[in-house]
Amino acid sequence: MIRRPICGARLSALLALLGFMLVCVAALPAQQTPELTPHQAARAKAISLKLRCMCGGCNDTVGTCNHTGGSFSGPCDTAKAMRKEIDQRIVRGESDDLILQDFVQEYGSEVLVTPPAKGFNWLMWIAPVVLPILAFVFVWEVVRRWRRHAISLPEGPAISPELLARARHEASEESHE
Amino acid sequence: MDIFGSFALLLAFVAAVYAFAAGIAGILTRRSLLTKSARNAGMAVFGLVTLAVGALEYFFFTDDFSMAYVVAHSNRALPAFYKFAALWAGQEGSLLFWSWLLSIYAFSALFLNRKKHPELMPYVGVVLAGVQIFFLLLNNFVASPFHVLGAADSSGAFHLARLSEGNGLNPLLQYPEMVIHPPMLYLGYTGFTVPFAFALAALLGRYPGEKWIHITRRWTMIAWGFQGIGILLGAHWAYAVLGWGGYWAWDPVENASLLPWITGTAFLHSVMMQEKRGMMKVWNVWLVFITFMLCILGTMLTRSGVVSSVHAFAESSIGGWFVGFLAIILVVCLAAWYRNRDYLRSDNQLDSLVSRESGFLFNNLILLAACFAVLWGTLFPVFSEWFTGSKISVGPPFFNKVNIPIALFLLFLTGVGPILAWRKTSLDALRRNFTWPLTGGLAAGAIALICGFRNFYALVCLVLSVFVALTIFSEFYRGARVIASRDHVNLLSAAGELTMRNTRRYGGYVVHFGMVLIFIGIAGSAFNRDVQSEMAVGQTLSIGPYMILCQNFDQTANNNYQSDRATLEVFRKGRSVMMLYPERRFFLASQVTETMVAIETSPLRDLYVVYAGRSPDTGRPVIHAYLNPLVKCIWFGGLIVALGTGLALLPGRRPTLVLRPVAEKSWEGAAAADGVSPARVVARRTDGHD
Repeated sequence: MIRRPICGARLSALLALLGFMLVCVAALPAQQTPELTPHQAARAKAISLKLRCMCGGCNDTVGTCNHTGGSFSGPCDTAKAMRKEIDQRIVRGESDDLILQDFVQEYGSEVLVTPPAKGFNWLMWIAPVVLPILAFVFVWEVVRRWRRHAISLPEGPAISPELLARARHEASEESHE
Repeated sequence: MDIFGSFALLLAFVAAVYAFAAGIAGILTRRSLLTKSARNAGMAVFGLVTLAVGALEYFFFTDDFSMAYVVAHSNRALPAFYKFAALWAGQEGSLLFWSWLLSIYAFSALFLNRKKHPELMPYVGVVLAGVQIFFLLLNNFVASPFHVLGAADSSGAFHLARLSEGNGLNPLLQYPEMVIHPPMLYLGYTGFTVPFAFALAALLGRYPGEKWIHITRRWTMIAWGFQGIGILLGAHWAYAVLGWGGYWAWDPVENASLLPWITGTAFLHSVMMQEKRGMMKVWNVWLVFITFMLCILGTMLTRSGVVSSVHAFAESSIGGWFVGFLAIILVVCLAAWYRNRDYLRSDNQLDSLVSRESGFLFNNLILLAACFAVLWGTLFPVFSEWFTGSKISVGPPFFNKVNIPIALFLLFLTGVGPILAWRKTSLDALRRNFTWPLTGGLAAGAIALICGFRNFYALVCLVLSVFVALTIFSEFYRGARVIASRDHVNLLSAAGELTMRNTRRYGGYVVHFGMVLIFIGIAGSAFNRDVQSEMAVGQTLSIGPYMILCQNFDQTANNNYQSDRATLEVFRKGRSVMMLYPERRFFLASQVTETMVAIETSPLRDLYVVYAGRSPDTGRPVIHAYLNPLVKCIWFGGLIVALGTGLALLPGRRPTLVLRPVAEKSWEGAAAADGVSPARVVARRTDGHD
């Protein structure tokens, strides 16, 4: 970047402009991020982790979005706007549920990081619990059947107890090597 | 030169089709000359695809901006290192890269076994050629990397166009790890083709004996190792580059890469049931089939845009091809299995519930449950949209909630399984093997509880990790002690000797230990903290035991990018520890801004600092600092897993450990044939899992 020297007239014009901007900023308090109490900030953070950033370029939550490419990398503009909205609603005293509901109204259920366990989506939560349990029952049944199978089989050529004892002894010695 | 590349690719396709057709003809007519020529054609595919890859790299290195692919992914200022890596930066090139790696595997499998298994290899060649045909079909006719840019002049005639400059490589990929991560992952994905080919070939050809399962196991372990390394490198890249403070986001593409790794893990365990006891043959064959199908599914998810993902190959029509290919594989597998199901008749019997066998059964159950949960969550948005019409997202909370309990149970089995003996474990042995490790684990948990750790899952993870680590050490210690006292060497070299004698068993333990470290590292994320703040020169920010002092902000530039940089001094307990330089780079060719994270890493915790840019409200720089405990354990654990995998692939030093299923011969008969005492035969067979 090349810095050009600023002459006197320009400087005063710039100062005037700056002063004007300051006045503007002061006159627009709604544009500023509202101040939250620590408790409110924790609530805002919790809500932001339940909502998905809707910019379409990432799969992050609003709270963790660090999608690059915006003018301000950190959260992208979409996530930033969503965060601001959460903050403002909390300051207005709205409940967590109401805020989440309104976001769903605005963007559809896609905005929730995980869908609520209702209707068809209930399947999503229940299947990873039920299927392993069914599989467990199945494996248990298989094990039982295999055990019965083992008992019913003849023991192969007869081995004398002495031989077996010696074999076990040597086996344990060797496996300790 | 573009003609040369296209022509090489076309010839490769023709060679693969020939290898496929001549291979089948050779099997049917039993003409060895035909079979041999099919094999040679299969190996020639490698040479031809190599030529095509060479041609594409030539365009990159000569900055030939008449090639559409080069324009899209390179520019003059790009360092040579990344020009090489630009080969796999886009859809077309990465598919070519895919075919190339596959052809390397196919060549190795055919070449290494050229004089072995004359009954099996023709089938293997046919299956490999079949898979190659599919990918070469895509390379030639669907996503050719050799498209040239064209433009019509005023008279309407079409001419070659040559741009003076390309768009440059995606800045996210301009990172050394990105040159290694995709090849590793692709070596994993494509590598699973070889075990698939051997399993399907053995089934189709009804290949007698268990030899094919040994071959399959080795190739699976190679592919599995690469896949694991690839996944971890990707995680590390995400951590070190993307600047969101984490390494795993349960993104669909990440999940897709995890799925075949999980089923591969299941196979590497259950294969021992077949080798040792002749059990679970059907299950093993299907595990290999499913692993391969998950590889293809993963490739499809990455490239088709079916599920929304940050890995941007998306938005192409290529998905339909993969669905078709997947359907063909499924039909072939089902048909092969149904026709030859009597070939897989297993000798399933179980002596006791408390045995290595049942340990493996539950290990497989848990791994498959984890695989299902991940697959389910990844694909559920698609199902939901089909059935209800409404779009939903399935994010990290779902995957964490479901997978954490599963993973912890798996960790528990990692400790229990290896100590259980084959067939039957006595109560006495159980007590002897478990008392100390379990006490150690519980003690560690108690200490952590006293120190104020209150996170339930992290505590359970700690107890189990210590338990598993202690069982592994006790296995090494017990074996090493015997060797040490017999050979009069110290314990350490005795442990080395022990490992080299039975590389598979002790290599496996090393892998387990690496996994324990990874688990500990992941559990550390329960205690992550972060703080974000606007900072001016001279201001400070504190997080955990660290205090960060902002010293300066400056700007630098080169041909490739402009950079905004913060100079931060890190203090700990009032003493200056080090300087950190988090950066934001603006890449000129692609007009994209990226963050360069600065990480102060120590074994216990990472201080992870991101220069998040300037606040739009005040114009002041914003620094986002994270304190991530134990992350280093994950990367270190990954190294140990890789080391253990390498160990397990080495041949064991003890020649007597050639495996034979017990049911093959009667004990006495085998003993007589081998010329050793019956007792020694038994001894060999009860000896651990080698």
